[in-house]
Amino acid sequence: MIPEYGPGRTVPHPVLFRLLDSEADDTTVPEIKVEHRSEYAYYPGCVDYYDQEMQFSHANYGETNHGIIFDSSIKLLRAVGIEPMILDRSFMKCCGHDQLWQGKVDLFRKMRDYNAKIIKMLGVKTLITSCAEGYRTFRLDYKLDGVRVVHITQILFERGLRVPATGDAKRIRVAYQDPCRSCRQMPVDPVYEEPRELIRRVDNADLVELKTFRADAQCCGVAQMMYCNDKTKGLTYSRMDEAREAGADYLLTACPKCLTHFGCLHHENKWRPGEERYKYRVMDITHFLAERLPGPWPTGGNVDERRKEPPLPGKKGGG
Amino acid sequence: MEVERVRDKVFEERPGFPTQYGPDRTDRQPGSPLVPHETYRDLVTVLLLTAMLFFLTAAIVPSLEKPRNPAETPFIVPDWYVLFSYGLLKLAEILPEFDMPGVLGLPGWRVTAGFWGFVLTNVPLIYLVLLPFIDRGRETRPAKAPLRSAVGVSFLFVWMFFASMYSVNNLILEKWPVIGSDDVLKAFMFVPPFLAFAGTYIGLRRLGYAPMHWWRVVPLMAAFLVTLAHSLLILATIGGWSQYGLVALFLGLLTGITFVPAFAVTWLPEKNALRAIMAVGGSLVLFTLALWFLLWYYDPASTFGTMVVLVPNMHTVFALPIFSFITAYMSLRRPYSTYEYLLNECYQCGKCHTVCPVTKVEDDAIGGLNLVYNSFKKQHDGVPMWTCLACDACSAVCPLDIKYSDYILEERAKVMGQPAVDGGGEE
Repeated sequence: MIPEYGPGRTVPHPVLFRLLDSEADDTTVPEIKVEHRSEYAYYPGCVDYYDQEMQFSHANYGETNHGIIFDSSIKLLRAVGIEPMILDRSFMKCCGHDQLWQGKVDLFRKMRDYNAKIIKMLGVKTLITSCAEGYRTFRLDYKLDGVRVVHITQILFERGLRVPATGDAKRIRVAYQDPCRSCRQMPVDPVYEEPRELIRRVDNADLVELKTFRADAQCCGVAQMMYCNDKTKGLTYSRMDEAREAGADYLLTACPKCLTHFGCLHHENKWRPGEERYKYRVMDITHFLAERLPGPWPTGGNVDERRKEPPLPGKKGGG
Repeated sequence: MEVERVRDKVFEERPGFPTQYGPDRTDRQPGSPLVPHETYRDLVTVLLLTAMLFFLTAAIVPSLEKPRNPAETPFIVPDWYVLFSYGLLKLAEILPEFDMPGVLGLPGWRVTAGFWGFVLTNVPLIYLVLLPFIDRGRETRPAKAPLRSAVGVSFLFVWMFFASMYSVNNLILEKWPVIGSDDVLKAFMFVPPFLAFAGTYIGLRRLGYAPMHWWRVVPLMAAFLVTLAHSLLILATIGGWSQYGLVALFLGLLTGITFVPAFAVTWLPEKNALRAIMAVGGSLVLFTLALWFLLWYYDPASTFGTMVVLVPNMHTVFALPIFSFITAYMSLRRPYSTYEYLLNECYQCGKCHTVCPVTKVEDDAIGGLNLVYNSFKKQHDGVPMWTCLACDACSAVCPLDIKYSDYILEERAKVMGQPAVDGGGEE
């Protein structure tokens, strides 16, 4: 059946999804190389793909850094004494969340069966994701018997992450965006309290709530990467305006999709240095916490040390 | 300022939004008034019904039965609506009669069949009294309250039906001697209500998409074991294969029909279980019926002999295969459109529309694009369904916990040609 009106016309990143979809068809298991075998596994998800897409798409010239989520997560997990097995994209597939919600259930099934097979093969006991959509998908839509699926903030909170005092006298106001997938869509273990508790552990951070928060939190504007138009931008605007009205210095989120779209709009509204419409930083919560931990970034942090300021619009790749 | 403007422009002229309150209201009331509109309509109805009664009494002469003959004993039977109570009084003879000793200075009394009949009559009432404490859900619709409905079907329909039937037990045994004895009729009082209870409960739980795990297995496995035991008992009673080969064949088939659902729900994954039941169970049922028909066609006497042996025991070997098959099918089938069923809970409070973020930014949303309403009414031509962000803000405020995003998931999958109840996987 050829859909009359389906997601195909509206998905704004067609190449990315062609890539992810074509991955699903090849179900041969490649050689699996894991550096460190452990019953704790960390699944970074598709953030690297998004990074590629965001770096080279017309909308965002490389400011939003998704790769840092991976580095920050590893750094944080090491800080609480977990050396996770990394479920690399070289042998894992996309978790299939977007495909499922775009209606491509056959692709989702293929991805689910493949991933569940690999996870079972590797003997994973606890699956950690840093992505709200991944958390929901692995927890609800996969039937992983015997595998505990946690969001990274949950396990950091559970293992008692301690953020050392920065000694910074300047107070910062931090707002947290509740991603829909890890909060109100989870009938079991919604992630409300853990990220807030982790933010409170940063000594100079004041947690501020946005106008709508927890289960009533307004959507960031885009889910399952299906639209990018003035309507969705309007939603992202209204959410970012809430953060501006709350006087936040940081807008944190636990979902790479929220990060993508906040980051995109944040960058679009930066005309020249010092003239931003939104004078706060948009970050993933793992990035925020890992910045406040001492020690090196596990893989160099995907950060160009020479670059102090984000690039201006129109400069591709930050050059 | 905005609020005042909206109230002035929109609400003022419309009925239902009074600006004055209390008994001194002078503005126009919404709806039609009691006098004279409602009174007039009711009067017409009352007069019409009275006229019909007059017409009936004039046109139809009530029948009088034949005159009382002192020579013959009249057939004593109460009115139909208390037949069940009469049947229970008759049934009460199976319960013991004894003397209750007096305690604390109270006089002792004799527990008689009359007392037991009274107690049995009140058993459904005991359930009715206890139900609000057992089943504390807020649902009032029968299909959404499995326990209540199962008790209702079991006691108010099946139990009362067979109790009413037992009130004329001698007539029934006279008319259908093949049933056998009075004991079989007594067994009808207890086995079918239990089966109706289990079947209704399991089927309705499934319809509401509650998870069904081990306890679905229990009644089906029990049904199989009981059928097996009873079949062996019948065979032992009548002398085994050599004497009644035909009976043994039918008993084997009936036991097989009971075995298939029990095996399928216990060991097979859910989707294969339904297939197995439909394939094996269905063919067994058809084969049994065909065999029976052929035998009856070529040798009515032998078939009658089989019936004579089997039918007095039918309360298990006949009822349980049917029960197993229907219960397993009901507990395994996926309703065609689950979320349409769940969305029927909606009472249009409109909270979802208030919080829907898409409505806030869509230009044509001034009374136009209501995602939830339009999808629900199938007035969407695809737009609301594909515009939905599935952010679940609607479900968060829904007083009935309707998961609208799950509905979206299923509808999208349908458009793409894939059924996707609960994520497209096995339960």
